Amino acid sequence: MVGPFARLLEMLRPDLVRFAFWLARDRAVAEDVVQETLIRAWKSREELKDQAAVRPWLFTIVRREHARLYERKRLPTVDMDDASALADPALASEGDAGLDDLRRAIMQLPDEYREPLVLQVLGGLTTTEIAAELNLTQPAVLTRLFRARNRLRVIYGLTPAEDVE
Amino acid sequence: MSGSLDCSHVRVAIGGDPHNLGPEIREHLAGCAACSRFLSETLTLDGRVRSALELPLARFRKPAQPPARRFALAASVLLAVLIGGGFWVFRPQSALASEVVDHVRHEGGSWGAHEVLTPAEVAEVLQKAGVNFDTSMPVVYAMACPFRGHRVPHLVVQTATGPMTVMLLAHEKVSARQEFSADGLEGVLLPAGEGAVAVLTRNGKVPDAIAITLVSGVRW
Repeated sequence: MVGPFARLLEMLRPDLVRFAFWLARDRAVAEDVVQETLIRAWKSREELKDQAAVRPWLFTIVRREHARLYERKRLPTVDMDDASALADPALASEGDAGLDDLRRAIMQLPDEYREPLVLQVLGGLTTTEIAAELNLTQPAVLTRLFRARNRLRVIYGLTPAEDVE
Repeated sequence: MSGSLDCSHVRVAIGGDPHNLGPEIREHLAGCAACSRFLSETLTLDGRVRSALELPLARFRKPAQPPARRFALAASVLLAVLIGGGFWVFRPQSALASEVVDHVRHEGGSWGAHEVLTPAEVAEVLQKAGVNFDTSMPVVYAMACPFRGHRVPHLVVQTATGPMTVMLLAHEKVSARQEFSADGLEGVLLPAGEGAVAVLTRNGKVPDAIAITLVSGVRW
C-alpha cells in the first residue's frame, strides 16, 4: 500500500502548496509547511480509514502544521499593507488582470474570512467539516463565507449583498 | 421576497455555500428573479475565485529569497524514497556509489564511535562543508571529508537499528533512489533537492522511515 498512498500525496501536493500559501501568504513558508505535512501524513497514514477523505484530511494537517510552524518558530506574520507581498510573482496570471486583482483581494481578506473560503473552494471541505476544523458553528461558517464572497463581489464589479447580523 | 425566507437570508445562504442550497432556498429562488440573479452571479464569481486560488506552481519553484532554505522535500522526494517500484538496484554499481563505499571502508573506525557529539561539534563540521542538517538522531561521528573535490559531511548517527553512515553530497545529483551493496555494507543514494544523500548500514537495508527523516533534515 506504500505506492498508492505516496502517489496520492504526489497528486494532491500542488493543492496543498496552494492552500499553505493562502494561509501563510509566503511561498517559502508554504513549502516548509507542506514538507512537514507530508512527513506527518506519512507517519499517520494508518489513521486514514477512508481514502476518499484524504483531501480534507491533508488540508487539516496543512492547517495545523501552519499553526505549529508559527508557534514553534515565532515567524512574523505577513503584513498585508506591505506592497511587496501583494506584488509576489506567484500571484500574477498570464495577462488576466482581473484574476490578478482577485488574487490580491483574496490575499487581503482577513484570516477569518480567507481561511474558510480556501478550505471550501480549494479544499472541497463541507461547511460542517470547516466548522469542526475551525471550532465554529455551521451558521458562523456560513456567515464568514458569505462575507468573504461579499467582499470579493466588489472587486468583481458586482453589488454586494446586504450584510446580516 | 418569495416563500417563508426573506431575500437577505437567502443571499447569506447563497454566499455561504452556493453549490449546496437547501429546499427552502430553492423554493424561494423559483419565485424570486433578483435572488436567482444573485445566485447566478455568485456561481460565476466562484468559478473565478477557484481560478484565482489555483496559483501557477511553476512560479513557486523560483526561490523567493536567495539564502538557502530547507529544500522542498515534499512528495517528489518522498516518492523517490518510498515507492517500492520506483527504485532499482543497480548492477554494476554507479561510480558515485562505489566511491561512497570506498570512502566509508577507508574510514572503518567511524563505525566504532559511541560517544554522542555535542551540537556545536556537529555544527562545526557542517559549517566547514557549508551544509545544514537538523536531526534528532544522536551523531557519534562527524568529519568534513574530501570527496570528489569538495568537503563533504561524513556522519555516523545512532538509530534503533544500529549505526548508520550519512554522507551529505551537496554537489552530487542522482535522479532516482539507488540501492547498492558491497563489502557487507548496504546503502542507498537518495535525491535531495539540489544534491544527494548517501546512507549506509551494516545491518540490512536502510529503513524508509530513517531515510525520510535524514533527507528531510538537509538544507543545502
